[in-house]
Amino acid sequence: MKLGAISRKTLIHLCITVLLVVNLYPLVIAFSSSLRSADNMTNPIVLFNEITLSSYKDAFARMHFPTALLNSAILTGISVIAVVLLAAMAAYPMARLKTGLSKFLYLFFLGGLVVPGQMVLIPIVQMMNSMHIPSTQFTPILLFITCSLPFSTFLYTGFIKSSVPEEVEESAHLDGAGLFRRFWLIVFPLLVPVTVSVVITQGVWIWNDYFFNMIFITQADQSPLPLAMLGFLGDQQNPTQWNVLFAACFLCALPLLVLFAFLQKYFVGGLTVGSVKG
Amino acid sequence: MNSTVMKKSLYFFAVPALLFYLLFWIFPILKLFQYSFTDFNGFATQYSYIGFSNYKELFREGTLGESVKNTLIYTFISVVLGNLIALGLALILNLKIRAKGLYRSLAYIPTLFSAIVVGFIWSYVYMPESGLLATLLGKLGIDSGDMNLLGSYSSALYAIIFVEIWKNIGTSTIIFLAGLQTVPNDLIEAGKIDGASAWNLFRHIKVPLLATAITINVTLSLINGLKAFDYPFIMTNGGPGTSTNTLIFSIYKMAFTEQIFGKASALGIISFALIIAITAVVVVRLNKREVSA
Repeated sequence: MKLGAISRKTLIHLCITVLLVVNLYPLVIAFSSSLRSADNMTNPIVLFNEITLSSYKDAFARMHFPTALLNSAILTGISVIAVVLLAAMAAYPMARLKTGLSKFLYLFFLGGLVVPGQMVLIPIVQMMNSMHIPSTQFTPILLFITCSLPFSTFLYTGFIKSSVPEEVEESAHLDGAGLFRRFWLIVFPLLVPVTVSVVITQGVWIWNDYFFNMIFITQADQSPLPLAMLGFLGDQQNPTQWNVLFAACFLCALPLLVLFAFLQKYFVGGLTVGSVKG
Repeated sequence: MNSTVMKKSLYFFAVPALLFYLLFWIFPILKLFQYSFTDFNGFATQYSYIGFSNYKELFREGTLGESVKNTLIYTFISVVLGNLIALGLALILNLKIRAKGLYRSLAYIPTLFSAIVVGFIWSYVYMPESGLLATLLGKLGIDSGDMNLLGSYSSALYAIIFVEIWKNIGTSTIIFLAGLQTVPNDLIEAGKIDGASAWNLFRHIKVPLLATAITINVTLSLINGLKAFDYPFIMTNGGPGTSTNTLIFSIYKMAFTEQIFGKASALGIISFALIIAITAVVVVRLNKREVSA
């Protein structure tokens, strides 16, 4: 029995390990290859047979890493803050009022999930052209916010309904606090857990997005990290330098990987607050 | 609570978010509808109304049918296979074992990478001759010769579907795991005492209690699949031929590469209707099941 239990556990660990190795293998190979020099790319499956940072230096310079990092941080930062404020506000009436309009708004906001961003982009680009609004580094933010609202309002509404009792507002109401103060001083501070969840789920996709940035940002010095990646794929004349491309891949992913290493439980927990548990 | 505390004026809080919706979603969709009846090319200020020509043309040439077929295959496989793999992984990770947290974190890592990075890395995996898969097969003594997964009509679509699944497994697994943690242990114990088999425990206790997680995961991956764009765009450019043209990729190509805005808008309207219809049917069915379970 004891022996059976041990070998069963070993089998489970073995099973998980095999699954994860298969899962992470492409990333490990890419990482190993990124540490090689250009003339040593023929045998990808021998791991870490050379360790040099030359491709990283190359990629770092070509993608203007510090500038791109800053651009990513600005784009993501502004978008996420705006999403948190707008979504929390929009969720408040949907969670508190039980009228037909409230139900309609809830479905209306959630319905935004099915709208493909690539599709609405045609008229938006056209509208901006005809109104002579120049597209700047900040234009993608408008679309990041819009595309983040459906899931964020969904999370906030669920959380306010389940975890912020109406009673906490009653005393503030009796003290004569207006709606505005009641929301920002009483309700909003109680939304920290779901705000973490919104910041992480929406922050990750906005940080990683290349598409909206590609449409609106034309200058290299305004590119965020994923957009700076586009220049690394070769063509007929200049075949792809895979070691440099992989180095760029990992430089691009590095900020999120570092954040994940330190804030793992928020990343993992953030996915489930208000959706499965709440 | 009485209505003096929760007044109708609460609705004003939704106004800023609604403005974003109106400006960047409702208005563009209405515009799209208008353009779909024109020969608008994207930059000329003059365009004329041409009735249903765009729609008729789409139905006639087969781009539509091809894109719909590809999108449905993409969606079906990524929803079914993606969720089954994630559920399996979650069930294993939910067992009482050591280093559970570490395993969970490792499983989550691919979801942190940008689609563009994922696309590049997997292009290398699939590359003929010197790519990762070809090298691995070579080491195993299998001659992969002219195997070109992304370059052949019959395999390209499945190759990119696999990448989509790979990228999203982490997220679905975490959501399933959270769902599994809501399954009360005494319920499982009671089932065991009653002599239920592992399969029966799974089928009659875990699955019903996982209903919320299943609904969320299936809905999200369904919408994801119907809106598939990234990997056709990054890895195959819709090709070879039109074999990886998804609906959204076709819209993009028509609008931004071929500059036929009018026709792209018509395809946009058709796609949008299709996405809404399929999502609505699936979500309603899932919700019914969730309630009755």
